[in-house]
Amino acid sequence: MRNQAVTLLWRAGIAAALVCAIGVLPWLSHTDPALTVLKARSADRDPTPEVLADIRDRLGLDHGPFQLLAEWLGGLWRGDAGRSWLSGSEVTPAVLQALGVSLLLMAVALLAAAVTAALICARTLWLGARRRLDGRRTSGSASAVLAALPEFLTASVLATVVGVQLGWLPALGWYGPQWTVLPALALGLPAGAVLGRLLDDLLPGAFAEPWALAATARGLPGHAVARQALRRCLPGLLPNTGLFVVGITGGSVTVEQIFDIPGLGRTTLQAALAQDLPVLQAGTLALILLAAVAAGTARLLARLLIGPALRDGALPSLHRPTPPAHRILPFAYSGLLTAVIALGLPRDPLALDTTERLASPTWTHPFGTDALGRDVLARVAHGALDTLLLAAAITAVTLLTGVLLGLLPRLSGALVDTVTALPPVLVALLVTAVVGSGDGTPALAVAAVAWAPLAAHTSALLRQERAALHLTATRALGAGPWYLLRHELLPAVLPPVTRHALLRLPGIALALASLAFLGLGAQPPSPEWGLLLAENQPYAERAPWAVLAPAAVLALLGALAVTAAGGVRRGRRRRGRTEPAPPMPESPSHTRELVATR
Amino acid sequence: MRRLRPLLALLLAPALVGCFASGGGSDAASGAEDGSRLRVALAFPPAENLSPYGADSTTLTRLGVIEGLTTLDANGAAAPALAASWRRENDRTWLFTLREATFQDGSAVTPAAVANALTHATKAKPAPAALSGVTLTAKAEGATGVRITTGRSDPVLPLRLSSPALAVLSAKAYGSNGKVDPVGTATGPFELTKVMGATAATLDRYDDYWGGRAQAPGIDVKFVADGTARANALRTDQVDLAEAIPVAQAATLDKAGREATATTRTTSLLLNTEKSVFKDAALRAAARQAVDTSALAKGVYEGYADAGAGIYGPAVTWAAGKRTEPVGRAKAAEPDGTRITLATYDNRPELPEAAQVLKQQLEKAGFDVALEVREYSRLESDALDGRFDAFVLARNTLVDTGDPVSVLASDYTCDGGYNIAQLCDKDVDRAVARAEDTADTAERQDAAMAAEARILGTDAVVPLVHQRIITGVGTTVRGALLDPYERTLVGTGTRR
Repeated sequence: MRNQAVTLLWRAGIAAALVCAIGVLPWLSHTDPALTVLKARSADRDPTPEVLADIRDRLGLDHGPFQLLAEWLGGLWRGDAGRSWLSGSEVTPAVLQALGVSLLLMAVALLAAAVTAALICARTLWLGARRRLDGRRTSGSASAVLAALPEFLTASVLATVVGVQLGWLPALGWYGPQWTVLPALALGLPAGAVLGRLLDDLLPGAFAEPWALAATARGLPGHAVARQALRRCLPGLLPNTGLFVVGITGGSVTVEQIFDIPGLGRTTLQAALAQDLPVLQAGTLALILLAAVAAGTARLLARLLIGPALRDGALPSLHRPTPPAHRILPFAYSGLLTAVIALGLPRDPLALDTTERLASPTWTHPFGTDALGRDVLARVAHGALDTLLLAAAITAVTLLTGVLLGLLPRLSGALVDTVTALPPVLVALLVTAVVGSGDGTPALAVAAVAWAPLAAHTSALLRQERAALHLTATRALGAGPWYLLRHELLPAVLPPVTRHALLRLPGIALALASLAFLGLGAQPPSPEWGLLLAENQPYAERAPWAVLAPAAVLALLGALAVTAAGGVRRGRRRRGRTEPAPPMPESPSHTRELVATR
Repeated sequence: MRRLRPLLALLLAPALVGCFASGGGSDAASGAEDGSRLRVALAFPPAENLSPYGADSTTLTRLGVIEGLTTLDANGAAAPALAASWRRENDRTWLFTLREATFQDGSAVTPAAVANALTHATKAKPAPAALSGVTLTAKAEGATGVRITTGRSDPVLPLRLSSPALAVLSAKAYGSNGKVDPVGTATGPFELTKVMGATAATLDRYDDYWGGRAQAPGIDVKFVADGTARANALRTDQVDLAEAIPVAQAATLDKAGREATATTRTTSLLLNTEKSVFKDAALRAAARQAVDTSALAKGVYEGYADAGAGIYGPAVTWAAGKRTEPVGRAKAAEPDGTRITLATYDNRPELPEAAQVLKQQLEKAGFDVALEVREYSRLESDALDGRFDAFVLARNTLVDTGDPVSVLASDYTCDGGYNIAQLCDKDVDRAVARAEDTADTAERQDAAMAAEARILGTDAVVPLVHQRIITGVGTTVRGALLDPYERTLVGTGTRR
């Protein structure tokens, strides 16, 4: 009980700190809110000193951030979150309405994700119920590729093909149930692929447990066993699903834009750019509350599903029979990637020729050309080194931070939810305000978010590992906490978390590019992959190859990471076999993907 | 629990309905006999609850809701609107004679109502753009006259009054706290009936409009910020008119469905005349010579732009005939690999592409160019402080008043509030001042062109292209009003 009170206080502390940080953001970053508000109201208006003075006067900016903040907080008690600096209308109803839209979108997306996940694990469930799983390889690359696709690409393809060309479903708007299908699919497909993969990895472990064998021997029908296996595995997915839920409520800006949905993502983005602080503060607060509720619900659901077993400590950690690792696939993928890069490197990635714009693939331009007539193959190849090096460096940093903070779950638990819930652009603005816009800022801004899922993963693994029998045995032999950490806990936790971090590489490359519009990160004409995707997005329908090529190499990178991760697992297994009992617990997740940052 | 489920569903249903956006007049659109309401997708969601004092006023004129005393004709001169005629009584006083008209709330447009509306506009904070630096008082004069007195001599007052920000609304529109509500209080052919935040609005025809009854019984407006989404809305027949289709999406529309209109928006390359490299007029001349504007118009804008001719483009109809050669241009020097930063913003998707083409052209001429692309609000203060050597800017050259001189004064004079080129040149200032003081329309235009020649002579600005705006028009729509000032779209004759 006391623990919960402390956690609650900690959460409230983080929320308060964030709201205060937003309140002083313009003063920290030396960006005049009067100017950004004016430009958001009317881009053509000249910022003469008189106009700015009038706006400052209207908004009371001369009183300084602290009085503004105090006034805002004073109103909050009565449910009054002030008035928008932009439009002058009340914030509370506007933010609540946007939140409602976003929550509905999230709910339908969750449903789409569930269906996707179900399709992915259908085969494992079917085989497992009939006890024919032994030695089968899990479905691998396809779901990893699906998970690595940038969501704007799925969204544009769905909107153009299903919405416009086939005309089956409305391509934009938010007026009724049929309008929810396409956006929910765009968000739910990648997330469902991740969750499905995760579940697919856990299920064989559940089917291998003694109770399943006993139940089958007793003559229980296969579907009953499968149902229990699902129930056994779902709690392991809940933290992930929770992150997914909070991540897309405030972070699905692209999908909201493409389908014209008046959700919270767009509202907070606009507020962040215009420095409309009351809206930004209210939106952030709503998202933080949502993160807390989602975390609480996940815990409650886990207790409902497997409560008694948890209480009695009668739950052995899930482990799966050693799957046969891929031998050829990683080499095939890396070979393909290397070939693309080697073919493109001799070409010029910057040579413009506007007469050749948006040309289809030919022998001279195997991947076609982009909107300025540049060779896409050359750009993909030249961007590879920058993209991969930077993304790899960030991955290393996030891995370190994630593991360290994950070792302190009580400290990091609330931080993880909160950071995931924040709109990425807000995090970037906060980071920029603190450290200035230097060369390292974009990397820092991405790293500030990307550690969260890794920390959550680490904590989850630790919890399982601490309950394992061999730890009790080691402790009984007189090992101290440091010995346990160094020789037992870390060796068990590091490999799966490292695999997880590798899987997030493509996501980090995309996140870096999404900050470019703040003047952070790569600037055109750099051929960085994320930037390639962003600059070719408007032409996705007319010149699909210019988007598909960078998306394909990113997906290839994802598939490579998944299959190569199998290799890491194999090495680990061999070591595990020297310990007779109990078998090393298998990670609940090595596909906990970029859901969080999406 | 199981028995509770239907109950839960009943409780949830209204909550769910609350989570959808209310559609723009979907009930009216479903009525069979009312099939010809226009459905319009606009690009800019209302930023200030459709207050006429900000940029939202253009939205209101485009939908035919509000009107001022005057309007702009095709040649950029003032034409009668609510005022049937006017005359200048002396240097500072003008007398406007009103026509017979009624507000949408039924009351008559009286001189007192007009004076009240204009007085409210002068007191608005921040002041509407059309009134910046101007003081005026309006008084009722007899049964049909309004006398307007300006603080200083203002030769372009009739033009100024055509600004959407100076629209005339009935007394009911003006609330006590400075808020202005245009719903049902304006004079145009269409009456706002409902505004759904920043997502949609519905309008009905105003039957007693002085200019005759509109053909369309009403308008359902959706505000769709994303250009691709607007194009998609038109292609799936969700709307009849979609404004500002991005160049990248134009090719996805039928040829008959896209109308390109020349606008007064000029994209230009501004060179920082105050600091570092481009302080040297010879290097500015080198940059000007390096730029090939037709490659931009064709390659980046796909022909939806005209190559840069001057500060004013072909949409300013009188400009081409009065243009003179730039005065006092320097001789180009060799850049020798001088490093420059070229900044632009990505709010208009074509600008970063244009900047990349420029980069290549300038590098071919011997400059070493670094690009800086950001969101506009993150860029402007740095640009105004002169942090960049060069800046690519899309600028509306007839800003808010329709007066050609004001853009010259704000952008290229020592005291200009939007002087990104940091230009401070005695000859330019003198030429602009002369234009500002000229009253006669034709002479004022001549003086503006003389000032343009002076400004182009400094090479502080290199006009790149004159943009055309693409409007998506459904196949059955007739009579859409596409004007270069982007002030009209739907009028009395628009129907489908």
